[in-house]
Amino acid sequence: MLQQLANGVFAGAIYALFAIGFTLVFGVLRHLNLAHPAVFTAGAFVGIEIAARTAIPVWILLPVVALFGALAGVLVERVAFRPLRGRDDEHFAGLISSVALGGVIIALLQARYGTEPKSFAMDYFPQRLFEVAGIRVTLTQLVTLGLALVLMLGLAWLVSATSLGRSMRAVAENPTAAKVLGVNVGRVTAGTYALSSALGTVAGALLALNLGQAGRDLGASIELVGFAVIILGGLGSLWGAMAAGVVLGIAEALTIHLFDSTWKSMVAFALLFAVLVLRPRGLFGHVKVREV
Amino acid sequence: MSDPILEVESLKVAYGRVQAVRDVSFTVPEGGLVALVGANGAGKSSVLAAVSGLIRPGSGRVRLGGEDVTRCPAHRRIAAGLVLVPEGRQILGTLTVAENLLLGAHRRRRQAAPESEMYDLFPVLAERRALPAGSLSGGEQQMLAIARAMIARPRVVLLDEPSMGLAPKMVDEVFAVIEKIRASGVTVVLVEQNARRALRAADTGHVLETGEIAHSGPASELLQDPRVVKAYLGVE
Repeated sequence: MLQQLANGVFAGAIYALFAIGFTLVFGVLRHLNLAHPAVFTAGAFVGIEIAARTAIPVWILLPVVALFGALAGVLVERVAFRPLRGRDDEHFAGLISSVALGGVIIALLQARYGTEPKSFAMDYFPQRLFEVAGIRVTLTQLVTLGLALVLMLGLAWLVSATSLGRSMRAVAENPTAAKVLGVNVGRVTAGTYALSSALGTVAGALLALNLGQAGRDLGASIELVGFAVIILGGLGSLWGAMAAGVVLGIAEALTIHLFDSTWKSMVAFALLFAVLVLRPRGLFGHVKVREV
Repeated sequence: MSDPILEVESLKVAYGRVQAVRDVSFTVPEGGLVALVGANGAGKSSVLAAVSGLIRPGSGRVRLGGEDVTRCPAHRRIAAGLVLVPEGRQILGTLTVAENLLLGAHRRRRQAAPESEMYDLFPVLAERRALPAGSLSGGEQQMLAIARAMIARPRVVLLDEPSMGLAPKMVDEVFAVIEKIRASGVTVVLVEQNARRALRAADTGHVLETGEIAHSGPASELLQDPRVVKAYLGVE
């Protein structure tokens, strides 16, 4: 039971990392960037390739993956959203073009890496197993959880206490007012996507590290749960996404423990459905990025 | 007279097919206070939006201190000292009063005034600095909007309808603040529907009618001009 809870927390950390990037872009720009799962998948593959080619340690690998993610994010905005800016149907059109771009990214990954999953070298990261109070955790899981916490708190700090964060909240509330005050809306937009995709690629690389490998369906396997997390937490809410990630991770783990894994997704979506009916704005009510 | 600090030349602004501003030209001397008055929809706010860089004019030039800024984005103009206090205040209600001020200063880090200077000038903001700006009253929000511009230590401040929607007592306070700004040597362009108050505060006035300047002159003369009195000032 406790073991299942712990597993749920580890899975939830990945869900939350996936979700905060997505929800950040929505909170600031009202964009639903459906290329996010593909960027997440790309992070896993790029991580595996760089690890294989250079054998750099994981604490250098992840920042490199984040940097790649930041660039990818800027590109996603340029390609899928910027050309549509100012149109009446900008948000809906962006949603569709980002689905298309996601498909392109997955196709590119397949062209480069083939259809078979890619793996980290067996000895890339030390396989350590700890046992605390009867709960077994791997070193990878601990690193994942620790890093997820640091990144989420770091993002919350960035949004609430830095100049970039202030500009992001200004754009989130009122782009015109932000512009009047000299906020460079184009640059804040690029920065938001860079952050979002950096978090997404690191989440993808971390999941691959936990699984030991990544297939091109890595993003697809997490996206539905990821979106459930985002809705559950309240679209645009960072704290909501973090909390809901862990809640869903635990709910899934308990379901596996009490029934079996076939019921896993059903419980996630039953939970989502129940929350939508009872609290249409998500567990955390009407909160936006500006209320990290 | 010294060289003008702000020059607007043959400015044209259109929204789709609607020509909001057609061929407006005027200059503002350094340290001067110029009022643009006129009826609703005469194009006053569009002039300020184009001068501040929020919208692209169809044609025409804007020069600040002799330098052509027509193609500069809004944030560059702010950096150069041309700052707008927008119509309807555009306060960021979910950010705190202090955060609003920080945003006002962030494009002019080197020149910007310390926050404390704004709190001395607007004591009401000091008490509320940690509160969301949305919790301020309308008059307080207008003070914040002005403080947010003044913290940048602008060379020219553009005030768009600063008295709109305010109680008479707050209107007096706003105009007292405008006097202070002007006394500190900052150049002011004031757009107002309250033509009488604006012209009393200004040294030069321009009356806009359907996107064009219909009358111009020293503000004191416009206040006496029968055509202006009849159309915009009425009987006091």
